[in-house]
Amino acid sequence: MKLAGLKSKENAHEESIWAATWVPATESRPALLLTGSLDETVRLWRSDELELQVTNTGHCLGVVSVAAHPSGVIAASASLDSFVRVFDVDTNATISTLEAPPSEVWKMQFDPKGTILAVAGGGSLSIKLWDTATWKLVATLSVPRPEGSNKPADRSGSSKFVLSVAWSPDGKRLACGSMDGTISIFDVARAKFLHHLEGHFMPVRSLAYSPVDPRVLFTASDDTHIHIYDAEGKSMIGAMSGHASWVLSLDVSPDGAAVASGSSDRTVRLWDLNMRAAVQTMSNHTDQVWAVAFRPPGGTGVRAGRLASVSDDKSISLYDYS
Amino acid sequence: MASVYIPVQNSEEEVRVSLEQLPRDASDILDILKAEQAPLDLWLVIAVLKTVSVLQFFDSRFREYFKQGKIEQFRQILEEGSSPEIDEYYADVKYERIAILNALGAYYSYLGKVETKQREKDDHFILATQYYNKASRIDMHEPSTWIGKGQLLLAKGDLDQASAAFKIVLDDNRDDNRDNVPALLGQACVLFNRGRYSDSLELYKRALQVHPNCPASVRLGIGLCRYKMGQFEKARQAFKRALQIQKMLRLLWPLESWICKQMKAADETWKGMEKMQKAFEIYPYCAMALNYLANHFFFTGQHFLVEQLTETALAVSSLGLMKSHSYYNLARSYHSKGDYEKAGMYYMASVKECNKPHDFVLPYFGLGQVQLKWGDFRSSLSNFEKVLEVYPENCETLKVIGHIYVQLSQTEKALEVLRKATKIDPRDAQAFLELGELLIQSDAGAALDAFRTARGLLKKNGGEVPIELLNNIGVLHFERGEFELAEQTFREALGDGVWLSFLDGKVHSPPVDSDASSRQYNDLQFFRRLEEEGTPVDLPWDKVTTLFNHARLLEQLHDNEKASILYKLILFKYPDYIDAYLRLAAIAKARNNTQLSIELIGDALKVNDRCPNALSMLGTLELKSDDWLKAKDTFRAAREATDGKDSYATLALGNWNYYAALRSEKRGPKLEATHLEKAKELYTKVLVQHPSNFYAANGAAVVLAEKGQFDVSKDIFTQVQEAASGNIFVQMPDVWINVAHVYFAQGHFALAYQNCLRKFYYNTDTQVLLYLARTHYEAEQWQDCKKTLLRAIHLAPSNYTLRFDAGVAMQKFSMFTLQKTKKTADEFCICSVTEENTIDFECRAFDALYVPVRSTVAELKNAVRVFSQLSTASSLHYHGFDEKKIETHVGYCKHLLDAAKVHHEAAEREEQQNRQRLELARQVNLAEEARRKAEEQRKLQLEKRKQEDLLKQVRQQEENFKRVKEQWRSTEPASKRKERSQMEDEDGRGEKRRRKGGKRRKRDKKSRYEMGETEGDMMDGEMEDDDAYMNNEDDGNRINDQEDDRADNNAQVLAAAGLEDSDAEDDAGAPSSNINRRRRAWSESDDDEPSVRQLEASPTRENSAEFPGSDGEA
Repeated sequence: MKLAGLKSKENAHEESIWAATWVPATESRPALLLTGSLDETVRLWRSDELELQVTNTGHCLGVVSVAAHPSGVIAASASLDSFVRVFDVDTNATISTLEAPPSEVWKMQFDPKGTILAVAGGGSLSIKLWDTATWKLVATLSVPRPEGSNKPADRSGSSKFVLSVAWSPDGKRLACGSMDGTISIFDVARAKFLHHLEGHFMPVRSLAYSPVDPRVLFTASDDTHIHIYDAEGKSMIGAMSGHASWVLSLDVSPDGAAVASGSSDRTVRLWDLNMRAAVQTMSNHTDQVWAVAFRPPGGTGVRAGRLASVSDDKSISLYDYS
Repeated sequence: MASVYIPVQNSEEEVRVSLEQLPRDASDILDILKAEQAPLDLWLVIAVLKTVSVLQFFDSRFREYFKQGKIEQFRQILEEGSSPEIDEYYADVKYERIAILNALGAYYSYLGKVETKQREKDDHFILATQYYNKASRIDMHEPSTWIGKGQLLLAKGDLDQASAAFKIVLDDNRDDNRDNVPALLGQACVLFNRGRYSDSLELYKRALQVHPNCPASVRLGIGLCRYKMGQFEKARQAFKRALQIQKMLRLLWPLESWICKQMKAADETWKGMEKMQKAFEIYPYCAMALNYLANHFFFTGQHFLVEQLTETALAVSSLGLMKSHSYYNLARSYHSKGDYEKAGMYYMASVKECNKPHDFVLPYFGLGQVQLKWGDFRSSLSNFEKVLEVYPENCETLKVIGHIYVQLSQTEKALEVLRKATKIDPRDAQAFLELGELLIQSDAGAALDAFRTARGLLKKNGGEVPIELLNNIGVLHFERGEFELAEQTFREALGDGVWLSFLDGKVHSPPVDSDASSRQYNDLQFFRRLEEEGTPVDLPWDKVTTLFNHARLLEQLHDNEKASILYKLILFKYPDYIDAYLRLAAIAKARNNTQLSIELIGDALKVNDRCPNALSMLGTLELKSDDWLKAKDTFRAAREATDGKDSYATLALGNWNYYAALRSEKRGPKLEATHLEKAKELYTKVLVQHPSNFYAANGAAVVLAEKGQFDVSKDIFTQVQEAASGNIFVQMPDVWINVAHVYFAQGHFALAYQNCLRKFYYNTDTQVLLYLARTHYEAEQWQDCKKTLLRAIHLAPSNYTLRFDAGVAMQKFSMFTLQKTKKTADEFCICSVTEENTIDFECRAFDALYVPVRSTVAELKNAVRVFSQLSTASSLHYHGFDEKKIETHVGYCKHLLDAAKVHHEAAEREEQQNRQRLELARQVNLAEEARRKAEEQRKLQLEKRKQEDLLKQVRQQEENFKRVKEQWRSTEPASKRKERSQMEDEDGRGEKRRRKGGKRRKRDKKSRYEMGETEGDMMDGEMEDDDAYMNNEDDGNRINDQEDDRADNNAQVLAAAGLEDSDAEDDAGAPSSNINRRRRAWSESDDDEPSVRQLEASPTRENSAEFPGSDGEA
């Protein structure tokens, strides 16, 4: 289990890069890397050379999140102005523009089957679910406010502001992380809130289910820790510490044996889940690492594992994961 | 049968006195002598046969009397013989009288020598001196008198004078005095005592040559010299010969055995012991033999025998040095048994007996040790220094002296001594250890070197390296930031144990139920389970500190999980280890888990409810959870717990007052001043106690800055900044920010903020980003300002204030560009007129005109969107914005959009004209231009289309707003403000802004560093401004105001206070009714300023004032 630097693309955007995800391979092309930046553009890159394929404009204010449909045909990008733009990956044609005022848009993710796009709704304290066929809002999953904290004096920073979402690999559960560190688990089929997972007390900016075990959820928080939860059993299995500052993003490797994380401490770390310890620390970025993403398996003859990381330093780094 | 004949006067007869039958009463003989007027020599013969030397006299005659127990008689006879009558009677008989006097002198010298009581000793010596002086008066040059004097002086320890006396004899050339044996022996003795053994040996040899049949004592002297010179074999020969001459067993057996011992052969030692025992059997009361036997038994550990033997020795011996040895043995025995009181007593006795450290130095050492044990450092020091006089290179003594200097906190001297010790013996690990410990305070690097040398030495010697040493090395590495080395060292120190499985990640902390209500129970449970599973959970007490330090190291390496387990392990075994609670609490605090942190502190306080560190931390936590009064009480308690010596608590109270000054809801200038004064007083107090306390200096400087003394405060900040860099435990980003603040307040828009952002917060502090944005704003770098704000939003998504500020920045930007556009448009016309021919230029000019308009429109749309979002959001959350104000912004932006539309149209018109003109130009121009022309046209058309698209969007947008607005209007009467004429707006602006630029800055400065004045006077300049501008300007201020506003909700509370302000302003100006309304909105936004005040940059300060106390475990 190790990472080896393959390629680093300096000045891949004109400004800080805030979002990255892999667009799965289709029959006609291999997987592509999709990045979004403060410079209001979304760019597509061909691996392993990190060759710029296309630049999408049209967003105002910074692009905070990108998501790719499991089919690899369509993708979505969202910016601080709270618009979600859904577009065709290959033609860059806008398919739809989603907006659900007054809800903001933060992290988003397509469900494993590709029928629903879940969007973290920030201050609306909810997750918005969009049907990918009709592009209509199908459901709003609200995070219940803990009793007694409805008082307006609740400081703006510590609310249940929803920052991040993650689908379980079986598509039955949806987890969201919020500003005050609580994680909420929803039953998607019944559109019902199940329970909270506690342990973090600072914003949870990124979370991900294990691709091999639909119960296991990994969360990254500003408290510098990565937690491992049994999302069904409501218990915390473990915690991993090592980052010196906020953990901004994490992703689980396709084999489910490792987690990669990016942090404000400018490093990317690879965590061995058996040892529950960092086995490698990459410090090639010179500013906070806003996103890390493992390339999903599949595609024509591509077996090798790839990890991409993007940073405030405007660069993209690509690593070989083996 | 020896007898003495006393001649009867005037006859040939003689009275025969048999020596064996000396009359019991000496007076009988005296009577005979007196009656018969015996020649004087007979007087002497009775007591003394003519002897060669005084020594001889002792050996033969005196001993006879002594043996017969007739010393008194002897003395009586002699004294009679030296009485004034005799002097008269025998005035012409010189030599015999001298002999009698010398005999008496020698007698008293001897008495003095063996006497133990100092007073009587002195008396004897005085008498002896008198007799010798008398003898000298009879004949100055009589050598035997000088010899006697020399002996006396020797006995008194006056080596110099003794030597001089012997020298007089030896230098006397009259007879064969040059080889006067007693003088030679005396001189040899002097030299021996002075340690000039080889010279002494020479003299003994000479004496032997002159007088080959001299007594065994000469050979004894030779033997002793040889022994002292380390020639053991020859010494033994000399002793043997002495033995052959005279059976001085009791003296020589022990000496020989001692030599054997010195020769360091085990079997020899035993042989020596055998001899010693033989000697003991032969003469059970020889003190020396007893002492040596005792010595032997001391080493074999038979303390009972030691005591018995030495007590006997004490009883039989009257010689000072010998007694001293005996006492020493006794003392040593008690010392090793740990009976320091008795040991000290006997050491003292021993020291008293020998007087001179040169004779016997060991008891001084022992006494020093005991006194050290008693804590009597000064006496101890003086004793060790005496030892050092004798053995200036003795490492042990140097080390002890170094240690005492440390205790007496004379670090410099201690260092000097220990350095010397390590230099003398570079293989003495102990000395390096002490040196290292000493250096920790002053020079960590050198200390580390010393410790490492010690470790190396210990390892080389195969000894076990003490855990304390490793711990210290680890801590030093840690402090120097060499974390890897530190970790290795700690691991080595800890060795094998249950912690290894935690450290290596083999055992993880237990799964925690998400509710995590029973924290303590959980931890206990975990370790119990481990125990049940057969993993012994042991933690030896001597490893606790190291384990704690290791955990600290892990914390420093950000591995808080492992650190927590280690702390919990410590607590599992040692539930009273407060520091572990505190560290756990600190970890929880860093993770924002205030609840848990407070619980842990509670546990710590259960152990010791007056622990100042715990109390201080509790105070900080209470402050964090906004429990002001409680926090103040806690800090007070913490301060009391340490009698005000703990600067942290005082500092915290200072901070508390500072916040209170800025927080006070109704900004009473008086209250504010009181709090500030109090804060300053507290900071100063800390500074008096600890002149190098960064935090206090920082705090004092902040107060100074509050009061407007920027130059002084800047100086202080800069100094603190310099001092704080270069220490891994102290990080003071606050001081960087404060420096930047001061620069800012003074109008230098430095990039200091950016620096501190990078340096300290991993770019994660939105507050600093805000400061940065503010600088951009001031510098009218709108895009940078916007980007910075967007970054901040990205970091703190739920901070709506940031969005508001971003909206303002965008609005400002649009306004600015629109204005510029107008100008450019004009310029463009001119350009196009004057330079008709250059089509390229025109195209570029057109772009220059067009692009800004387009981006302006986009920006305005964003602004409107942001504001309207905020407006909607405000129905969902409370975030402290006045809806009316947002509305105003929306209105204004919309109005600007209108303006932009006009610009758009203007631009379009221009374009049209341009095209016509270009058309003309083209017609005039040649056909080769045609291709390019077509290109241009295509381009222009494309742009036009885009423009139209945009316009359409704008219109849609407006409709949107109207819709939104309708919602708000339901509660609020329609505003009139949007009917502002655009021209009016633009005319006054440029100029006014310039005019106001300085003023605004000044005012901002105030809002940042309020000087406690009312703001009224600052407003005058703004009174006559037209409303639109005011609003706008006001928004400009707003961004500043909101900057620090983390708790924006206070605005509501503060509204009341703000109204007072607005009243004052109303008095000052004469506003129209239209303006009035607006003014209220404006003044309300001024009211937000207090909320700025309470959360100045300084709040970061207290957070970073970590617990220095819990770090220094070493």
